[in-house]
Order: sequence, then C-alpha cells, then structure tokens
Amino acid sequence: MINPDTIRAQFPIFNQKTPNGLPLIYLDNAATTQKPQFVIDAISGFYSGYNSNVGRGTYWPATKATDSFEAVRLKVKEFINAPSLKEVIFNSGTTDGINKVMQSCLLPILKAGDEVIVTEMEHHSNFLPWQRACELKGAHLRTVPLQESGDLDYKAFEEVLSSKVKFVAVTAVSNALGVVNDVAKITQLAHAVGAKVLIDAAQLLTHKKIDVQQLDCDFLAFSAHKLYGPTGVGVLYGKEELLEAMIPMSYGGGIVETVTLANTTFNGLPNKHEAGTPNIAGVIGLGAAIDFVKEHGLEQMHKHTQALCEHAIDKLKSISGIDVLGTPEERAALISITVDNAHPHDVAAFLGEKGIAIRAGHHCAQPLMDSLQVPATSRLSFAVYNTFEEVDQALTALIEVRDFFA
Amino acid sequence: MNDRLKSLYKTQILTYAKDSTHEGELPNATHSLAAYNPMCGDKYTVYLVVKQQTVIEAKFKGYGCAISKASTAILVEKITGEPLSEVASLVALFLKIINADAEQQPEELTSDDALLAFAATREFPERKKCASLSWEVLEDIKI
Repeated sequence: MINPDTIRAQFPIFNQKTPNGLPLIYLDNAATTQKPQFVIDAISGFYSGYNSNVGRGTYWPATKATDSFEAVRLKVKEFINAPSLKEVIFNSGTTDGINKVMQSCLLPILKAGDEVIVTEMEHHSNFLPWQRACELKGAHLRTVPLQESGDLDYKAFEEVLSSKVKFVAVTAVSNALGVVNDVAKITQLAHAVGAKVLIDAAQLLTHKKIDVQQLDCDFLAFSAHKLYGPTGVGVLYGKEELLEAMIPMSYGGGIVETVTLANTTFNGLPNKHEAGTPNIAGVIGLGAAIDFVKEHGLEQMHKHTQALCEHAIDKLKSISGIDVLGTPEERAALISITVDNAHPHDVAAFLGEKGIAIRAGHHCAQPLMDSLQVPATSRLSFAVYNTFEEVDQALTALIEVRDFFA
Repeated sequence: MNDRLKSLYKTQILTYAKDSTHEGELPNATHSLAAYNPMCGDKYTVYLVVKQQTVIEAKFKGYGCAISKASTAILVEKITGEPLSEVASLVALFLKIINADAEQQPEELTSDDALLAFAATREFPERKKCASLSWEVLEDIKI
C-alpha cells in the first residue's frame, strides 16, 4: 500500500506554502507532475559531479556522463519493454517525437488522396502535425468521433479504415477526459490495412505498464515530466526497421559516420536520430524518475491514484450542479468537470486562492471541446502524493464555488 | 472566501456577469468585432450600430468567465449613446484602471463604481486579459 504522506515528504515543493500562506494541494498532475528530491538530486548531481558532453569524450568525466546517459536508455528500454536499445530515441518530449515521426516517416511517403486518421480526443500536439502533413501533401485527415460515454467510437474507426490510410495517430489516454483507449486493438486494425501507428503515451505512463511489443505499435512517444521527471526531455520508441529506413529526424553533430564535402554517411541507430548535444541532465533525471517509480511500484502508485479518482467521482455523484464529463469503460486518474453557472476559469481562480491547483480551459483539445459542446472544463488529475483529505478539500471548495455563482 | 477574491468578484461584476440585458445580436450592426482569447477560449462578438460618429446601439454575444463577461457587458453599456471620441477615452481609461503598472491609483482615475470594480485585476495579473479582452478590440479598430 502506498502511504502518500511518506511519499509526499520526498517532494520538496510541498514544504512551501502558497503566497496566501496555505499548503499546496496540487491536482494538475496531467499537466506536469511534481519532482521528488531523488530526481532533483540526480540532475544537480550530474551538473556538480560529472558534467561533460556525451559520445566522443575519452576522459573522465565524459566517460561517466556517457555511461550514465546510456544506462538510462537501458532503463527506458526495460520500462517500455522495447526489444532493442536502438529503438529508444531521446528527444525533448512527446510533441518533439510526434513532429519528428510526421516529418521523417510520414511526409516522405504521403501522397495526395492518402488518408491519415486521428481521433477527436487528441491533444493538439497529436493533431496539428498530422493536419499539417495532410495540408502539405493534399492528403485527407479523418477524425474518429467519440461515443456518448466518451469512449472512442471503435465502429466509426473501423469504417474509416481503408487501404488509403497511411498512418493512424492516437492517444492512449485522453488528457482532457481521462478516457483510456484500447490502443492494442486500434493498432491491430490499422495494421490490417497496412497503416503505421503512433501512440501518444504522455498520459499513459502513470496509468499502466507500457509494453510496446504487446501493443505492437510502430511508434510511441512520451515525456519525462509526466512521470515525476524533468521537463524538456522525452522518448520516442520506434520499430527498428522503420527507424532504420527513415531519414534523420534532424541534422547535426553526432549522427554521422563520415562527412566529406561531397557526401555523408549516417551513424547507426539510435544516434542517427539524435543530432546535437542531448538534454543529458534531463535524460539522467528521467532515469532517476524511472527508478523512483520502480521503487514504489507502478501498480501500487496507480492503485492509489485510481482510488483517489474513484473517491472524487463517487462523492460528486451526490453533489448537484457539478458534473463529471464522460463515463468511460476505463479511466485514468483524472476527471473533467463542469460547475453550473461557473466558468472553469472562475472555478480555478477560486480554488487557486485556497491553494488548490487545478486546470481550467480547453486542455489543448479544442476539437474535443467542440464535440462535447462545452467551451472549456475544469480538470482534476491525481498523483501519488495526493491524499483523500486533499480531494475532499477540493470538493468542498467546488461546492462553495457552485453556491457562489448560483 | 478571502478578501482578495471578494474584491475580484465584486457584487457588480457578478451582477453584470449574470445579467443578459446587453446580450444579443444586432442585425443592423455597422460593426461586429470579434474578441477571442486563444489561451482560454473566451470568445465574444461585440455588435455596434454607429451613426454620425456616435454609437447608437451596442450588444454582445459569446461566452467566457465571469470577469470577461461582466467587462464586456459593462463595455457595451458604457459606450451606448457615446460619440466615438468619448468611446476612445473610455477604453483608454478602463485599460489604465486595470493596469498594475499605471502610475495613478484606480480611484484617482475615476469614481465610476462599475469601472472600479475591475481594479482588483491589478492584483491578479493572470486575470487582466479577462477584463481587457473586449475593450482591446475597440482600441484596435479605427471606426
């Protein structure tokens, strides 16, 4: 069992009070999680202990930096059960990974009349790149709608599948609704028509163990900062044969075997896709975040956050004037709510004054908001350091807001 | 509720946010001005009937938070019947009232309670845009 108090003690941000002198109740974990001291120490430990560039250095501390950096690649490989180290590409985050796949994998093969499929629940970062690719090539972007429950309309998805579809990009978990998609099924169906599949796993990390072999996806992208790790660093997993066939995702130092004025031959994987000095401290921080999660157990952490989420949903059922959006079959630990007569920004401002951090807005998912016919929602998302008392305090505050605007 | 919040959501703001007197479209509008904040999705259209350099009629339609809705309603109320030159001064005045960097205190700028109700946004910089959203589109246009 997770004891949120002992875990909470490892997150130094909670030692501080908000400007109003209140304890921080942080319920915006889907935007970014807080960082444990262990991760912060790993990052500062690199800068103060063995800072140098990775790759070519033959001296200490370059050797230690390179070893530590590459050790994280192994940790990530195991974390997502990738078959090979060559398939783990470090980058700046989910958005970066998705954009690079669009540019290096899809654009070179996409032709006028081809189709790309996304869903209505995509975060803009898994929507705009594909919209742009289709604009550039005269291809068609098809969007799969949602069912009443918020679950993806799988029937509609099957209906848009055809041999014209070259690529399917889908999120594993909706950042705005918490809906969990059956990405294994989606991948299987997409592969049956010869389409490649990218999974946006940004919100999946803390929900369940990622197994790219079991999912059989072609690409999977995530960011470290949603997993108690630092911002500005992420991972793209890609199947080896695809990464091998793709043009480099960007050009620069570290990706070549030989360069002459006339010609260049590229390095093998994964370096071919990692031009320039990487975010070394960030990668080391990601490694520490994975260790942190392993130590406490992803399953145990998930159990705790699910229990918090279910507690909130249960209580909200008996509170009139506050509605939870969606009744999906499977939900990650986040809820989007609407409060009668109160705009989400007013809701968030009220809670903010009480030291309760929640997110209000369209959650970078405007097509979803249009489909739900709401301009915006308030979102509460839970993490391992949250307590049942915090959830209750947030609900009490929400009732106050409801009454204030009634 | 703490005092800071109380001052932000003054009774006047709440009253205007809930009052639909100024809401609606004007089919004979000479100007329809779009105010949109892509950061939060607040969206209004302000309709004006301008004749002989005077705002004869004004209405608005759209949605957003209490602050942006009230400020749009007050804008529409204040500019109705005013000559364009007066509209421009009103907009400039309002933007000064909510500007935390302005040299003068809000009370030195005006004694109009409806406008002063928004002075508290000086303390909530993240809500300044809510207050200024619709006023800024009037500032931008050359009627």
